Amino acid sequence: MMGMGLLRGLPPRNNLRQGVTIVSKSNRSLERSERTVGLVFAIPSLLGFLAFIVMPILFVFALSVTEIDLMDNRFSFEGTKFFHRLFKDEDFWQAFVNTFVYLAIYVPLTLLLGLGMALVLNAKLYFRAIIRTFFIIPYVTTYIATLVVWNVFLHPTQGPVNSLLISWGLNPPHYMVDTNWALPVLAVIGSWKDVGFHCLLFLAALQSVPKDLHESAAIDGAGAFRRFRHVTFPLISPTSFFLLLITIIGGLQAFYQMALLTKGGPSFSTTTLTYLIYRTAFEYYNFSYASAVGVILFTITLILVLVNWIWQKKWVFYQ
Amino acid sequence: MKPGKWAKSLFFLAVGFLFITPLVWMLSTSFKYESQVFETPFVLVHWNDINWSNYEYLLTESPFLTWLKNSLFVVVVSVVFRLAFAAVSGYAFGFLRFPGSGPIFVVYLLTLFVPYQLYLLPQFIAYRFLGITDTHWALILPNIVDVLSIFFMRQFFMTFPRDFIHAAYLEGCGIARSFIRIAVPLAQTPLVTLGILSFFMIWDQYYQPLIFLKSPELFTLPLGLHSFQTQYGHEYAKQMALACLAIVPVLAVFLMLQRRFVESMMSSGIKG
Repeated sequence: MMGMGLLRGLPPRNNLRQGVTIVSKSNRSLERSERTVGLVFAIPSLLGFLAFIVMPILFVFALSVTEIDLMDNRFSFEGTKFFHRLFKDEDFWQAFVNTFVYLAIYVPLTLLLGLGMALVLNAKLYFRAIIRTFFIIPYVTTYIATLVVWNVFLHPTQGPVNSLLISWGLNPPHYMVDTNWALPVLAVIGSWKDVGFHCLLFLAALQSVPKDLHESAAIDGAGAFRRFRHVTFPLISPTSFFLLLITIIGGLQAFYQMALLTKGGPSFSTTTLTYLIYRTAFEYYNFSYASAVGVILFTITLILVLVNWIWQKKWVFYQ
Repeated sequence: MKPGKWAKSLFFLAVGFLFITPLVWMLSTSFKYESQVFETPFVLVHWNDINWSNYEYLLTESPFLTWLKNSLFVVVVSVVFRLAFAAVSGYAFGFLRFPGSGPIFVVYLLTLFVPYQLYLLPQFIAYRFLGITDTHWALILPNIVDVLSIFFMRQFFMTFPRDFIHAAYLEGCGIARSFIRIAVPLAQTPLVTLGILSFFMIWDQYYQPLIFLKSPELFTLPLGLHSFQTQYGHEYAKQMALACLAIVPVLAVFLMLQRRFVESMMSSGIKG
C-alpha cells in the first residue's frame, strides 16, 4: 500500500521523458495484474490444500458411513451402522473417558507450569540463560528418545526414581504398569515434553508488559499477587487464550506416550480416542470404525474450541 | 551482591537441573555396563572405567547409521519442498492477494483444528492404492502442504515493502522474476527460521513411519528407537546410548541456534 502512495506522488507523466513513460506504464499494468497473476501463484497451494487436507477430511466422513474392503477396494454404504456400534462399545466409552482424564491433567498442568517457568525467567536472577536452556531442552529433544528414557527411569522396581523412594522407606507406585497411575503419568510426561513451548510464549508475552504499569500499581499499594491478577494477567490473556487452544488440541491428539510406553494398557487404562483410532485402523484394519471414532474426535475438538471461543469474551482482554 | 537474589537464582538453577534429570541419567547410563544400570549407590560417572562399548556397538553393528541417513533424507527433502511451497503460497496470499485470498485463508486456518490422525486414515488407503506405502515418499508427501508454514510466510509477505517489488517492475522484471530475484532473497530470515522449526517437527515424527514403513532398512530414527527398544528389552545401557545418539544432533543444532530459535518462537507466538 505504501508503494502505491509513493507512486501517486510522482510528477505527472507528461513531464517525464517518453521512454520512462512506457516503462512506468508497463510497471503500472504489472501492479494491476498482481491479483490475477496471484491466482497462478496460488494454484499449487490450492491444489495441495484440496488433495492433502480437504479431500481427506471429506473422505473420513464418507468412510465413517461406508464399509470398505481393503483387498479389492470395494465400498458399500452402511449409514450410521458404525456409530450405533460405537455407542454400544464399552471400549469406546472407556477411551472417551480416558481422553478427558488426560486433558484434565495435561492442560492445566502444562499451562500453569509454563506460566510459572516464564515468571521465573522474567524475574531478576543470575544464570537466567542457563535456567532457560534447562527449561526448554525437553521441548527440543527427540520425543521418542525421551520416552525410551522415561521407560527405564520410571522402572517400577529398579528404576532410579523408585529405588530412591524405596531407600527412603516409601512404597512408591508402579507408574506405567498400574491401571490407576499409568494415564496420569503419561499426561505428566506429555507436559514435561511440551511445556518449554508454553514457557517461551508466556515469556514473550510477559516481556511485552510495560514496566511502568507495574511500578505505578506498586506505588498504589498493590501486592505482588494483585499486581499479577489485575495488571499482568489481562495483558497476557490473548497469549494465554492462544496457548489454551493449542494445549487442548495437542492434548486431544496425544499418542506417542501410549504407543511407546503402554500400548494403551494396562487393561485399556491408557487407550485414548487417538490410540483407539490407531489400533482399530492400523492393527485391525477396520478403517470405517476408526473413521467413526475420528469423526467423534473431530466433533469433540470443534466443541471444545467453540466453547472456549465464546468463553474468551469473559476473560481475554484485547488492547 | 544480594544474598536473596543469589539464593533464588541457585534455587531455580537446581529446579531447572531437576527438570532434565532423566536426560542427565540417560547420558550417565549410556557410559555404563548393563550390570551398573541400576547400581546402588548411584554413581554419575565411573571415571576409571568408562564404557564406550555401547556406542561402539551402535555405530558398527546396529542399523543406527541407516536410520540416521533415512531420517536426514526424509527431513531434508520434506523441509526443502515445504519451504518452496510455503514461499510461493505465502506470496500469493500475503503479497499478491489474488481475488478471494482473504476468505480462502480463513478456511485454511480453520483446518488447523482437525486432529492430524484423521488425515492419515484416507492417506493410508490412497497411498496403498498408489503403491507408495513402505517408501519414504509416504512420509515426505504429507509434510509438504503445511498450513502453519503458509501462514508464517503469509505474515511475512503481508508487510513486505511493495516499493522493492515495484522498483523491480520498473527495471523490467516480471512478477515471477521479481519474486525469485527480490522477494525470496529478502525472505531469507523467515525461511531459515521456518526451516529450523520444521526440521525439529519432522525429525520427531513417529506416527507416519509407524503406519507406513514395514521394511527395517527404511526406518527413520524414532521408529528405529522403537524397534530397538522392543528388540533389546532389557539392555538398558544400549537403549540409553541410542537415545543419546538420537538426541545429540538436534540438541547440538538447538544449542548453536538457540538465540535465533528462541527469538523466532517468541515473535511468532505473539503474532499467532
